Amino acid sequence: MGWKEAAEPVLTRMPSVQRPDGHVPFKRKLGWTGGILVLYFFLTTITVYGTQPVGTGGGDAFGQFRSILAGANRSILHLGIGPIVTASIVLQLLGGANLLGLDTDDPRDQILYQGLQKVLVLVMTVLTAVPMVFLSSGILPIAPGAQETLAGFVGVGNGSMATRWLIFAQIFIGGVLILFMDEIVSKWGVGSGIGLFIIAGVSQRLVTGFIAVFRDWFGIVTGSTGVNVFTQAGFQDLLFNQGHIIALITTLLIFAIVVYAESVRVEIPLSHARVKGARGRFPVKLIYASVLPMILVRALQANIQFLGRGLSSLGSAPAWLVEYNGSGQAIGGLFYYLAPVQRPSDWIWWGDQTGTAATVAAQEGVIHVILRVGVDLTFMIAGGAIFAIFWVETTDMGPKSTAKQIQNSGMQIPGFRQNVGVIEKVMERYIPQVTVIGGALVGLLAVMANMLGTVGSVTGTGLLLTVSITYKLYEEIAEEQLMEMHPMMRQMFGN
Amino acid sequence: MSKGENSGGLMSSAGLVRYFDAEDRNAIQIDPKTVVAFGVFFGALVMVLRVAL
Repeated sequence: MGWKEAAEPVLTRMPSVQRPDGHVPFKRKLGWTGGILVLYFFLTTITVYGTQPVGTGGGDAFGQFRSILAGANRSILHLGIGPIVTASIVLQLLGGANLLGLDTDDPRDQILYQGLQKVLVLVMTVLTAVPMVFLSSGILPIAPGAQETLAGFVGVGNGSMATRWLIFAQIFIGGVLILFMDEIVSKWGVGSGIGLFIIAGVSQRLVTGFIAVFRDWFGIVTGSTGVNVFTQAGFQDLLFNQGHIIALITTLLIFAIVVYAESVRVEIPLSHARVKGARGRFPVKLIYASVLPMILVRALQANIQFLGRGLSSLGSAPAWLVEYNGSGQAIGGLFYYLAPVQRPSDWIWWGDQTGTAATVAAQEGVIHVILRVGVDLTFMIAGGAIFAIFWVETTDMGPKSTAKQIQNSGMQIPGFRQNVGVIEKVMERYIPQVTVIGGALVGLLAVMANMLGTVGSVTGTGLLLTVSITYKLYEEIAEEQLMEMHPMMRQMFGN
Repeated sequence: MSKGENSGGLMSSAGLVRYFDAEDRNAIQIDPKTVVAFGVFFGALVMVLRVAL
């Protein structure tokens, strides 16, 4: 009757990576994780056959969003985790609004959920790749000579369409590979593949960024770059451009804030119903929903910008909708206000005169720059809070699910009756509030970091994600080692 | 850490993609080594294509 029965034959047959039989030793887990990471880096270095290498033709379709969407421009992994994130947004919204009707405790529904997830990612891969390959000539420009070579092979007069199909096939396979690589890491390795790819990309940029800072300071100290600190322009140059001082401070500050915020928590005491003295605590962390919902908000903005570009490339977009400057940045129209602030020159209108802020302030007035910052702040803070709520609901971290888990583990809150409803009531006092505050705070942090700039322009969201994922990974590794230690200790003492 | 302490396990938040233990018997199962081998092979193929053509 419902969509479940209709879609079941397809959803249950989606190919998936085998699960390991039994326990995977920690070393083997690290091996899988490292192996996938090497494969990921290998694939990002290979330019898709039939396109020009990076640096010729147009820019990156993802622009500044690249740092959180992973992958590499014009490589086999051109799409990065973009389709996965977009599919996840759709699932979160459907799940959050309870439109799916799937109960994730029921094994049958779990299989359906997994299948639906895969189908959605595949659909999104096609939907993201098609406009990039077929509608725009600047994103994946055809290399000179490629279509002639291909035309010779295929035996048709014009090889342009054949080349486009070939490019499409390559990035589509890349998208599918990323999905399966994530599944391998989730099942056989440590953490999740998506987290791994995000940290890999951001860390790479951070290292390059720090080398650039070092190189620039070497120039300033030795005097080969003329910076006059005693003029306003020179001082600003030292702070924002050549000196990278603000970017350095922001980067370090974000690190410190996230690590601190990870430890801010409300602890609900628990005691065992039967075993006296067995006590525990249930931590409700300030960033309870973690920083991951943030990626969904950013991806939503990325998709909006993508739409704007698509509209303007069709050539019929009116000026009130979108207006671009030479380097493809929105400087007017609705999509200008919806574009997130990515770097200091996006809002410091008195600084860098080539930046979008200076252009807009000169043409339209300062108020439009401020309006855009306001829109971005609202979008990120409200979006962060909303997606955090959805995230908590769909990943079974909500009051109802946690109460059930605590009850099943035989624990109770001292001073309260041992009853799921009672635990849920107590949880309801903390979890929703903490989730909203945490989500909004992370949104605010991401925007502030972008406004001040970060080393290697990894963007605030990229940095927040990296620090928070690394912290989670560290926790998981520690837990993993503990589990590894116990049977070993038992063996050692037993034999 | 005492046995009764509820750290870690409860808080484990999934990645963007969630995987459950349940599996359908009809589903096609892929060995992770096959995925890695295919990835390496595909990368090498594209590389060779770029050099050769």
